[in-house]
This record gives sequence, C-alpha cells and structure tokens, in this order.
Amino acid sequence: MLEIKPIFNSLLRSKAGALMLLVQIALTTMIVSNASSIIFDRMEYLSQATGYPEAEIFSFSVMSFDKNLDLTQKFEETETMLRNIPGVKNAALFNAVPVSGSGSATGLGLQPASEGGQDARSAYYMADENALDTLGISLVEGRNIRPDEVIESQTREILPKIVLITKTLADELFPAGDALGQTIYFGDKPLEVIGITAKMMGPWLKDSRPDNVAIIPFVSASIFQKIIVRTEANQRTAIMRQIENLMLEDHNKRVITGLQGMDDEKQNYNAADTLMLRMLIVLIVLLLSVTALGIFGLTVFNINKRTKQIGTRRALGARKSSIISYFLVENVIICLTGTALGSISAILLGQGLLDLYSVPALNSLYIISTVLFIITISILSVLIPANKAANISPSIATRSI
Amino acid sequence: MLVHYIDLSWRSLKRTPLVSFLMILAIAVGIGITMTSLSVYHMMSMDPIPQKSSQLFTLQLNTTDDGTTLWTEDNMPMQLTYKDAMRLHTAETPARKTASMRSGFTVHMNNQELKPFLSEARLTGRDFFPMFDRDFVFGSAWTLEQEQSSSPVVVINEELNDRLFGGENSVGKQVYLDDTAFRVVGVMKQWDIYTKYYDLNNGAFNSPEPMFIPITLVAPMQIASWGNNNGWKYEGISTFEGQLKSETFWLQFWVELNTAAQVRDYRAYLQAYLEEQGKLGRYTRAVPKFNIQNVNEWMEYNNVVSEDNKILVGLSFLFLAVCLANILGLLLGKFLTRAPEIGVRRALGASKRQIFLQHLVEVSLLGFLGGVLGIVVAQLGLWGIRSTSNDYNALATMDVNMLLAAPTIAISACIIAGLYPAWLVCRTQPAIYLKTQ
Repeated sequence: MLEIKPIFNSLLRSKAGALMLLVQIALTTMIVSNASSIIFDRMEYLSQATGYPEAEIFSFSVMSFDKNLDLTQKFEETETMLRNIPGVKNAALFNAVPVSGSGSATGLGLQPASEGGQDARSAYYMADENALDTLGISLVEGRNIRPDEVIESQTREILPKIVLITKTLADELFPAGDALGQTIYFGDKPLEVIGITAKMMGPWLKDSRPDNVAIIPFVSASIFQKIIVRTEANQRTAIMRQIENLMLEDHNKRVITGLQGMDDEKQNYNAADTLMLRMLIVLIVLLLSVTALGIFGLTVFNINKRTKQIGTRRALGARKSSIISYFLVENVIICLTGTALGSISAILLGQGLLDLYSVPALNSLYIISTVLFIITISILSVLIPANKAANISPSIATRSI
Repeated sequence: MLVHYIDLSWRSLKRTPLVSFLMILAIAVGIGITMTSLSVYHMMSMDPIPQKSSQLFTLQLNTTDDGTTLWTEDNMPMQLTYKDAMRLHTAETPARKTASMRSGFTVHMNNQELKPFLSEARLTGRDFFPMFDRDFVFGSAWTLEQEQSSSPVVVINEELNDRLFGGENSVGKQVYLDDTAFRVVGVMKQWDIYTKYYDLNNGAFNSPEPMFIPITLVAPMQIASWGNNNGWKYEGISTFEGQLKSETFWLQFWVELNTAAQVRDYRAYLQAYLEEQGKLGRYTRAVPKFNIQNVNEWMEYNNVVSEDNKILVGLSFLFLAVCLANILGLLLGKFLTRAPEIGVRRALGASKRQIFLQHLVEVSLLGFLGGVLGIVVAQLGLWGIRSTSNDYNALATMDVNMLLAAPTIAISACIIAGLYPAWLVCRTQPAIYLKTQ
C-alpha cells in the first residue's frame, strides 16, 4: 500500500543526497538531545528557590579606614540608623552575604573537631538576633536567638553557646529528627541547637551542600564589614540609591562598595550558567532551522528532478494523495533511519560528556522527545514541496517528450 | 584561468539565487556559531606570556599529613602557608622568585578633594616585576633594602596614577592606603592581560591589581588576604600571629627557572626543604610531595577554560558538520542539474581536471562569502555574550587570528563538502547530453 519497496529502491539509486540528509538528521538528533538535557538541567538549577525574599533584600560592604574608631560601637549606631530609614524592615551586620559566592564554611561535628568524628559541611552566617528577620527566613521548630545570647567581640576567644541551623543541616546531622536541643561543635566550641529554620541557601549555590547553613549569634564588627538590609519590595531601589550618602553621613572615613540587590547578586553568581543556557538555546534553534531547510531543499530538488516522472505517474492514474504520500514515506524512511542512528550516537556522546565533564546523565526521555520533534519538523518541511509535486499536471509528462 | 573560474562561479551563484543564498546562509550560521565559541575558547586558553611561559613556575608544597584529603584532584594544596612562602621568598637560591598575595585597601590622599575608594593591591617581592616582564613609566620597583625593612612603598599602575595624580610623574609622592602613608616608587605600565594567570584563585579573568606593595608588610601591618584561606586541620587560630604560624594555605609563589639545570636544582632544593620540615615534625608524611608547574600547565591544572566552553566548542563543530552535510546535499543537486552544460563543455575540449577545479573554485567562493558573513554572525554572537555577562567583556572578542581563521575554516570546510559533488560532475559523459539536446 505504502509502496515502500519502490521508494526504497529509488532512494538507493540516488544515494548521496539521501545519505547527506540522513547524516544531517542523525547529527541533529545527537546534538539536540544532549544540548536539551544540559539546558533543562541548567534551567532547573537557575530557577531553584533560595528561600529568601530576593526582591526585598540588598547588601553592601563597608570598608572603615579610621584606625581610632570603635567599630563595635559605631556599627551599633549604623544599624540603628539603617533600621530607622522609612521602608526598611530590618538590617544587620553579617560575615557573609547569601548567594554571593563568598563566605565561610566549616565542618560542624557531633564531637569537638580535635577529636575528629562525623561532621557535616556547612556554611555559617555570623549575625545577631535580627538575622532571621533580615533574611526573611522563618523558623520551623524551636525559638529565635535572644538579644542577650549574642556575643559581640573583636576576637573569637569567647563564642556563643547556641546556634540556629537549617532543616537540611539538622536532618543530615540528626537523621532521627531530634536535632532540637542537641549539641554540635564549631571547631572545639559546643553550640546548642535552639532553632531549626526553613530552607535557605548558603553563599554558594554550587556547593556540594548548598542549603546547609548555620546562624551563629556572634558579631565582630570588622574593618571590612558586610551589611544586609531588608526593605519593602517596592522601596528597595529608592533606598539603595540613598544608602551611600546615608552611610557616609553616618561616618565619613569609610567606603561603601558592592551595593547590590540579592536577585542581582544571584544573577551575577549564575552569569556563566545563564550564558551557557542562552548559547545552547540559540544553537539548537539554529540547528533545527538548518536541518528543516535541508530537508525542504532536498525535497524541492528531488521534485524538480522528477517532474516528468511525477507527471507520468499522474497521467497513468496516480492520485494526488499518492504523490504526496510517496514523498512523505520517502522522507519518513530517511528520517527514521537518521534518528535511529542519531539516538545511538546521542547515547555515546552523552556517555562521553558524562565521563569528561560534570553534566547530567542523558535521560532517554530527551532522546525520545528530540526524535519525535525532528520527525514532526521533517514531515512539516516536506509537506509544502510534496503538495507542489502533487499539483504537477499530467500533461507535463506528455508535452516535452 | 582562476579569474575566469571565479567569473563562472559568480554567474552560477546568480543563476540560482535562492539555493546560493541558502548555502551561504548555512555556512555563515555554522561558521558564526563555531567562531563565537572558538573565539571565547581561544581567548581563555591563550598563552598570556608566550615569551616566558615555560620559564615561570608556580609551586605546590604538600605540607599536610599523609591521608589528608584536599579539594583538588591530586590532593595538592593550591597555595602555600605563610611560613613556607616567606622562607622560600628569602632563601639564598639563585633564581628570581617571589611570594605573593592579593589584598586591598581604601585609597585616599588625606584631603577632601578625592573621595576615598577601595582598590585591590598585590603584596609581592621586587622580583615580581622583572619576572612578569613589567615595565615602568616612571620610577622602578622598590629596592631590596626597602623590601627587607618593610618600608611603606607602593608601585601603582598607569590607570591609578591618572586617577590620583593626573598622569604626571608621581614618584616620591604620598598616597594613603587605609590610614598608612605610602610613598610611590614606581608607576607601572598598564597591564592588559585576559587571564590573571599569576593568581587564579578568585576568577581567572579578573584584571591585575592596580597597586603593588612589599610582601614583607604582611606581618607588621597585619594584612589579611582578599583571596582564599584554606585550612585543612583544626588549629584554633584566633589571632593574626596565629594565622602567620598556621598551616593554612593562603599565598602564591612563583619562581623563574631558565634552564633545565636550574629546574633540577630547584627541585632538589625543595625536596631537601620538605625533608627538613618533615624531620622537624611539622607533618607526618613519608615521602615529601611537591609540584612545580609552568604558566600553561598551571592554567590547565586550574581548568581556566571552563567545561561549558569546551562542550560548546565541541557542539558547535558538530553543528558545522550538520551545515556541511546540508551544503553537500544542496551542491549535489545544483551541480547535477548542470550536467548538460558540463557535457557541452567537455565535448568542446575541457578536461576533467578543469571541470573539477572550476567547481572547487565555485565552492571556495561560497565558503569565502559564507565565512565573511559568518564573521558578522559571530560578532553578533559575541555581542550577545558580552551583554549577558560583564565577565566576558575582554574575552568575547575576535582577535586577528580568529578573524583570519573564520574564512579559512569556511573555505576548507566547503572544499571538503564540494569534493564529492565536483568529482561526480566532472565524470559527466559528454555523449549522453549531446544526444538529448
């Protein structure tokens, strides 16, 4: 019915053109399935929740170069000044800024570090009782830090006795779910877990444990101090604009740098991934267009070459639909062979990439959807020329011979 | 003859404008994509100091206990401890060498006119400048004596000199770093490198620091690193003094070794040094381990060219292959419809070789046009990269090599694609076509 055998035979007679189309389709399948696998992986990574109300938060750094200044006292005043700005919800000194790519991490253990034993890699923020509110993070269990539990000091000799940890970190250290009230060790210093927070990201989204975070109630105003401010979302831009002047009015021997909203901070951190994502999307869009054009071009060429034969077939009684189906079937044969070869090479390429680089393993779902997509595109791009072929008048066959 | 062939090709292109356009477009897109990712790759992997890259070496000393796992693949620390770095820095070895570290200060002139600003600084030895071929516009590096006595002297780059002193000779003038007065001893020529190869810790494509001050100031001024501090064991460090004595890795070290003999001697020296440190009981390690790598090896070791970029380059070459398969298909069609004409030409005395060459000239012309258009596409792509990420501003550009590579790759790719169709067409039997005319 579908006349596969004659179509196949005629394909064999003009091998080269069909072969090129086949190569093209195979390569396209191979590239598109691997590229889309990477694309979806990056999209998932880029759209992950950080836990923070990113649009409300901004941060900046203060470099103080006045040697005679009592930093601890000055920054107390600065914090008060910041909190009193209309539209500011809260502000606090931090040792590190979330999702900025720079901060501190350590192994928090069940035993003192000098005794070794099990520990979990975790980022830590050092800040006062305003930390949670400033970051817009809620408590899941336990209580927040009390002001009297915060240690303010320029040395690390006395450390606080308590700590807040994220749910993820709590679950890693205490799989039984009884983290609250337990003791964990920061170096050799014991800290009691008084609260467990909702998910929040540490400074590095690409860390092996991106959401293992501890908040230690310790403030050590430093000459290079980071400050985080949370505002009403719609007032953030306006407040950010005046922050440098306000900070310099507060004290003039300082330099304000790195003023940035948290969403921008995240974007900066992920710039390379965004770039890769865009380049891959451009690549596969162009690739599919080139392949579609190739199929289109080859069919047009085939039809031009066979105008007389088509006319003859029509004169001998072939319906328009059988002309169309001839080209469709021809195309589908090439396409199926091509995508089959392409799927195999896609798996090989995926395996190769996986061995060499940190890319996700290629899920066969990507191959299947790519194959379906390519078959659809190829059928679509063969339809127009095939229709044109079907309209060739039978008289052509008789006229010129 | 060539001119005649080019003329024929041009006529042939004009005869089938749509197919010609499609082919040129396919090449242009393929070349454009390939050149975009290749340009970035080229910029990233370019030897930053070709005249000396094989003579400058960086050190890795493994001063951890046996069995310690670090975050590198071979468990070697990326940097040195302060005590090792300074010991090697001041050692009586003949070669030029320097410990170095990134930090930063508030820069101001102690007056109201200039608003204080933050600037990065590199703490290093005076050997740094001749080692990395740095020339001076004014003044010179600090003296050995100034270095040994931890003098507050600074070398600034041209850009900073413009900002602070309006570009005039500032040698001998004062500038404040935080609250310490420093004397300018030299203005260094602007250093434009794409890869900050001498310190790859905090992003390989950052600009060099605008200020340089003696490394011997670290201890007296208690200057903390703005780079990475990597500890590997619990030491309970609570003071700066403790940090200096600790086993934390936070300094880089470079040495210039010009001959194989010097490399051998220096290796022997390091071996002896580590054995001595081991004997002192600083660490438990049966066999001392160290590594010295030159600039290009170091860039490779640090994966300066990102994985993403390598994948993109690979995928774009595959893309180019698809475009070629496409062109090959179209060329087959185009050339074969021309068979009758070729038949006549053959009958009139053209040799197979001439027909073959004529068609290769035609595909080369296609390649050339596609390559030129491809450069335009690549510029568009690079512009897209630059507007996505500021980090790529210096990297996402085409240098002369890449501009020349574009048409070269395009033409050779087209010739490869055109070989088979040209060969097919030159085998045309004149008789068949003469008959049907």
